[in-house]
Amino acid sequence: MRPLDTVVCVKVVPKPEEVSVDPETRTLDRARARSELNPPDMNAIEMALALRERHGGTVSLLSMGPPFAAPYLQVGLAMGADSAYLLSDRAFAGADTLATSYTLAKGIEKIGGWDLILCGEESSDGATGQVPQGIAEWLGASQITFATSLAVRADGRLVGEREIRGGHEVIAVPLPAVVSVKLGVNEPRFMDMERRHSAAPVTVWGAGDLGVDPAWLGFEGSPTAVGAVWQARTRERRREFLEGTPQEKGRLLAERLRALLAL
Amino acid sequence: MSESGAPRVLDDAVWEEVVEATRGMAAPCFQCGVCTAVCPWGLVQAEPVSVRRLVRLAQLGVERWGEAIWRCTTCGACEALCPRGVPVSEVLLALRQLAWKRRSVPKGLSTMLWAVHWDGNPWDQPPSARTAWSRGLDVPAFTGEQEILLYVGCTATYDRRSQKVARSLARLLGASGVSFGVLPDEPCCGEAVRVVGQEGYLAEVVEATSRRFRDAGVRRLVALSPHCFDMFRTRYPFDGEIEVLHSTELLARLVDEGRLGFAKNVAATVTYHDPCYLGRRHGLYDPPRRLLAAIPGVTVVEMSSSREDALCCGGGGGRMWLETEAGERFGDLRVRQAEEAGAEVLATSCPFCVLCLEDSAKGLDGRLRVLDLSELACQALGEGRGDS
Repeated sequence: MRPLDTVVCVKVVPKPEEVSVDPETRTLDRARARSELNPPDMNAIEMALALRERHGGTVSLLSMGPPFAAPYLQVGLAMGADSAYLLSDRAFAGADTLATSYTLAKGIEKIGGWDLILCGEESSDGATGQVPQGIAEWLGASQITFATSLAVRADGRLVGEREIRGGHEVIAVPLPAVVSVKLGVNEPRFMDMERRHSAAPVTVWGAGDLGVDPAWLGFEGSPTAVGAVWQARTRERRREFLEGTPQEKGRLLAERLRALLAL
Repeated sequence: MSESGAPRVLDDAVWEEVVEATRGMAAPCFQCGVCTAVCPWGLVQAEPVSVRRLVRLAQLGVERWGEAIWRCTTCGACEALCPRGVPVSEVLLALRQLAWKRRSVPKGLSTMLWAVHWDGNPWDQPPSARTAWSRGLDVPAFTGEQEILLYVGCTATYDRRSQKVARSLARLLGASGVSFGVLPDEPCCGEAVRVVGQEGYLAEVVEATSRRFRDAGVRRLVALSPHCFDMFRTRYPFDGEIEVLHSTELLARLVDEGRLGFAKNVAATVTYHDPCYLGRRHGLYDPPRRLLAAIPGVTVVEMSSSREDALCCGGGGGRMWLETEAGERFGDLRVRQAEEAGAEVLATSCPFCVLCLEDSAKGLDGRLRVLDLSELACQALGEGRGDS
């Protein structure tokens, strides 16, 4: 089996509990929110690093976002990625999933020489789950969505498992391929502090570096129109606490449940 | 000789790596085995952890320590008796550092570290909920004007049971008239990072947290948890700029000075469990007992092992983030000791101890209550129950 060169697409997202919805602009107000690497993207990075341990090759990180995303890519480099690329340009702003997948696909083409693209299943802020499929279409690559595990077979085919209702299915596709990775399928390794202090710098590319068609970029290149956004009401909990020994609490709980279920 | 009988060739590179990580701390060991004899794992496992063997392997640089290094709760029972003064738990934490490099780490610990990185606490809780524990209480934000920064710590901030301890402590401080405040963006002390063997990342946490304290103008810090207290008192580069106290030290002092008094009788037979990081680590056996003695109506009894000999609750050394099999929990033995001493209340002064011991006390059908000293003292304030 020859080495596997993987690009992991990652997104810097606001921490979900710290964003609010701006109904006027129909966007998320992330001004006061702290950021993190999108959680399923962390699983994708871990999967890529584990595949590299088995097959050799390289792991590159790719993100589209403002310059403040660079330190977050450094986190991925400290986990073990070989290189990191940030696509950052005002022309990319306001992109929907079509323009985002186009821009990322152009970034992947510029990195070149790839066998496998991994993405998290969806971003915790947008939650559309459409970008991985978009990238596969732009690149004309095979795809496996919502994968829980990946392996490269002796014949060079990529085998992925995905959960379906009542079981799981196993899909084999030829490389190169794009795979979206389910949240929580592995435990992302923590940063290696020696790497954190010595990791390669993040390469930043703008629209001019990618050879892109400006009509497909950012707000202009985004046909998606958001009709409305609003904050979901959080359900008020009853916050009742049962007192007593574990046995008494168990009995009281059973009584409550019996009443609620009208048994 | 290896266990199979075949000779083993020592690897110089590994030996150098181990000596560097352990900073030679294993060298003085002459293999008497007292550490193995007193290790509490011997009380719950048929095949106890051979601490002596782990230290010997560290001396030789032989990588056969396996998962046993993750069992250490850093209770310090072995260190208290080691005739050669080997800081055994430090040696084991150094071996954990090497285990990270080899990616031979129990499940769950990376996730805990990511929580510290993204959320500033090892419990994977949102930073925005830092002050939720004090809802309904008059707990001011620290402005630099107050005498004391109350350092609540991540566990008492987020864990529902431990929040009651924080609320009780805040009430006691309020009742004593001492001027205090809390940081609404309280940074993590990094204890959980240290004990899982992440020295490199710990340096980052310590730097950020020290900076936050300096910016806030902290002169005196009172920590609720002995684990945070140990970090700040011995492992932070405060150079005397910040005085660090554990809450029981402050409360005992306030009682001595007549600033904190108790009006109400708390009729109960109470025994006190010495948390490892107050007792063996810092010799703070008496302040908690002075506080306990000041509570009217309390009858104090001691357990069969207390003070230097106190049995660990099992929660230190990162064990709070690892599963301990039923039947292997030190707390089960500790609550039985409390019951045998005739106690109705097992009091302690550490959130980890409260959580572990209360869990074990559930097996005693309600015959033993586990309380933090702050909760017990709060009941004696005469303002109703310690917490609602």
